[in-house]
Amino acid sequence: MSEELAGLKEHYMRCVRCGQCRSVCPVFREIRNETVSPRGKIFLAHLLSSGEAKVNNEAASLLSQCLLCRACSVECPSAIPVHEIVTAARSLAAKKLPSPLKSLLHRKIWSSPARLNFSVSLFRHCQGLLKPAATLNLLPPALSLPGRLPRRPARPSIPGQTPASGKAKMRVGYFLGCSTNYLFPGIARSTVAVLARLGCEVVLPQELKCCGLPQLAAGEDKTAAHMASANLEAFRRLNVKVVVSDCASCTATLKESFPQNGSNGIKVLDLSELLAVLTEGNELKFKTINRVVTYHDPCHLANAQSITAAPRNLLRRICTEFREMPGAAECCGGGGSFVLHHYGTGMAILNKKILNLKKTGAETVATSCPNCIMQLRHGLLKHGSGTEVVSVVQLLAESLEITF
Amino acid sequence: MVRNKLAAGLKKIYPAGRILTGTLEKKMYSYDSSFYARFRDFIPDAVVLPRSTAEVSATMKLASEHGIPVVPRGAGSGETCGCLAVRGGIVLDFSSWDDVEEVDPENMQVFARPGVVHYQLNEHLADFGLFFPPDPGSTRMCTIGGMVANNSSGLRAVKYGTTEQYVLGLEVVLPDGRIIETGGVNCRALKNVSGLNLTKLFVGSEGILGVITMVRLRVWPRPKARGLAMAVFTDLEAAPAAVLDVYQSGILPSGIEILDSSAIHAVNLYNPAINLPEAEAILIFEVDGNPAGVTWEGEKIVEITKKRASRVEWSTEPGRMAELWRGRSVVAVAAARLRPDGSRIFAGEDISVPLSKVTEALRRIKELGRQHEITVVNYGHIGDGNIHTAPVINLDNPEEVARANALVDAIHRLAIELGGSTTGEHGVGAVRNQYAADEHGRAADIMKQIKETLDPENIMNPGKLLPPGEAGKSV
Repeated sequence: MSEELAGLKEHYMRCVRCGQCRSVCPVFREIRNETVSPRGKIFLAHLLSSGEAKVNNEAASLLSQCLLCRACSVECPSAIPVHEIVTAARSLAAKKLPSPLKSLLHRKIWSSPARLNFSVSLFRHCQGLLKPAATLNLLPPALSLPGRLPRRPARPSIPGQTPASGKAKMRVGYFLGCSTNYLFPGIARSTVAVLARLGCEVVLPQELKCCGLPQLAAGEDKTAAHMASANLEAFRRLNVKVVVSDCASCTATLKESFPQNGSNGIKVLDLSELLAVLTEGNELKFKTINRVVTYHDPCHLANAQSITAAPRNLLRRICTEFREMPGAAECCGGGGSFVLHHYGTGMAILNKKILNLKKTGAETVATSCPNCIMQLRHGLLKHGSGTEVVSVVQLLAESLEITF
Repeated sequence: MVRNKLAAGLKKIYPAGRILTGTLEKKMYSYDSSFYARFRDFIPDAVVLPRSTAEVSATMKLASEHGIPVVPRGAGSGETCGCLAVRGGIVLDFSSWDDVEEVDPENMQVFARPGVVHYQLNEHLADFGLFFPPDPGSTRMCTIGGMVANNSSGLRAVKYGTTEQYVLGLEVVLPDGRIIETGGVNCRALKNVSGLNLTKLFVGSEGILGVITMVRLRVWPRPKARGLAMAVFTDLEAAPAAVLDVYQSGILPSGIEILDSSAIHAVNLYNPAINLPEAEAILIFEVDGNPAGVTWEGEKIVEITKKRASRVEWSTEPGRMAELWRGRSVVAVAAARLRPDGSRIFAGEDISVPLSKVTEALRRIKELGRQHEITVVNYGHIGDGNIHTAPVINLDNPEEVARANALVDAIHRLAIELGGSTTGEHGVGAVRNQYAADEHGRAADIMKQIKETLDPENIMNPGKLLPPGEAGKSV
């Protein structure tokens, strides 16, 4: 029996195959056959762990049909952590069917900030060179997802230590995730400025690596574990006790990879949790933003961290009008690398989200995850919509009249 | 040879994306929610995803030409292997054919394709102030096609009856590929007694006579109000007696549910926050209708049950009702918590007994559990004598699995002995057909004759519902 799955046996044995997971799985809702259902993946994991089925390309392909959105894990009456089972099964698949290219990407490039920097910069240059090919639709459509990368990532513009405005209430470590850093440096600047304005001393360690989620999702769990301990060490060296991030995927991952309690523990908070505390009863003046706004729940915030009210409360406080979107908690179809492998399915899921978004008539959609922002922008662009997509913290920066 | 012809034939009917032939893909059609399927390998030769009557008809013609079994499948949430290819062949997965073709509010009916999910149908009907009353616990996943094929019911059967009462007509593809419409061609009447009632023949036929491709359902006005009463009993026998008291007072609740002491205990272990009072039994009465009537009936139920119950609570407030209902809604999975290595199994889970025998049935099921040294949890639709028994076992222990099988057999035989049935709502499939002859006597022979007339080649979901031993062919 495989080691990765053995530890989860008590969970998958509890699955009575009732199929309730089918009702919430975004991938199932699109493809509508049993092979992509969450219970099917539990069944498959069971077969792989017992050796009844071999890890082959068919198994790997079936396992890839999961966004890791955790909607099924939340819905399951038996509380089975389906996402953990899928991740463990992918880890087994990655070992049995090693892909040199993926290993290179995850183990050598993504795990090293310097190499990742170089690769992203190279990609950006290629974007320029390949522009004619992209215009003629000669490239895989998924490559157009990030849009044109910003000239500079966020990191060089953020100091290692940003003092609080006025008396510091707390000292927080800022986990600057890859998507925020490379795709949306403006979000990083807003996060640091808003935290400082609300009384936080913000510390950004120089040697941070990726949170490890892309590696976990690809079955590279050992690499992810190395990265987590390096990150933990980086924060410990700076004597940080609370770590915050503006990326829900990062905070969901860090909460599970960092020890949360004990003398050696580091408390991980999603930015929306911390902002709720910091803005509560705060005497600062919040200017009302004259805009109709709606909110999209990132799966890694709503499903993985059960945080849904805090960002909404904040938006209600700082915007003239908040409108709830139908299906706000449904996945946008990004799922990290999922949409790269299954672009068509990802776009079909996204399309539903965009249609729901349009129903609200909102001018701005706010969310709490840069990966969702990328996906939503892509969808709105395809729909020719002028709706703006921002991070909640960017609206808060505007409300606090922070200028950069 | 036949396999090659099958593959070639299916390719002519379906586009590539709607034929599944991968080894693992097919294996994912070897399960439903039954205990029985866990220990067997019912793997089909092919799976197709039909989206038109013409495709189903062409599939049936191909299958009958080559003598290949065909098995219709909805959500695979059943407990009887009803949708599994026990003799191989083609599985028709209707999950992707989920169109509500038409809601006809003027005529109080709806036309739905087999893959429509129950709660989605009701969401659709809500826009018209209508609803389809039968409410299986599996509303989030089960399909209308599966509900009709199994004559499903569930929580509200006490007042609203079972699916069959709502089926006005069906489009059915027969085993030879012919397409018929039951309940009258182009008929939209609510009452129709002309001809033999073929609609009722196909409802609950578990796919052994033909493939349902369209369902015409009668729907009802959505009730305006709802209330729940919870009554706690320190004596098990007092609970069924209280149910009779309520009926005799002239009240017909929409549902009456029971949790016995083991179920109550399991729910509290599963989630201590639910905090059910530890007792011998808890009854939950659901009342619906107009607001004044609901209040009157609720108060009356409190007054009547107080005579036997140690505690009664009534609420029409949605938040409190959700709390009162929580224990019942989680009990099916909570059962597993009674032991650390336990899994709840769906076997012997659906007997139905006369109302006057409910107490005896509950008592004797517990005794059988003790005799076989298996923990059992009892809950269910006591309002119509339908008891859900949940054996909790360690699936890794073959000796325990064997004991569980013996226990399940004893529970089924107990149901027959008490003048009841081995299944109140989940169906026969391949797990209860060995009792068909005992349950139906000579009527079982007539069932066989009907099957042979409509499906002489025995290709339509073979190995289900009828007593074992019917002629069967396999690929």
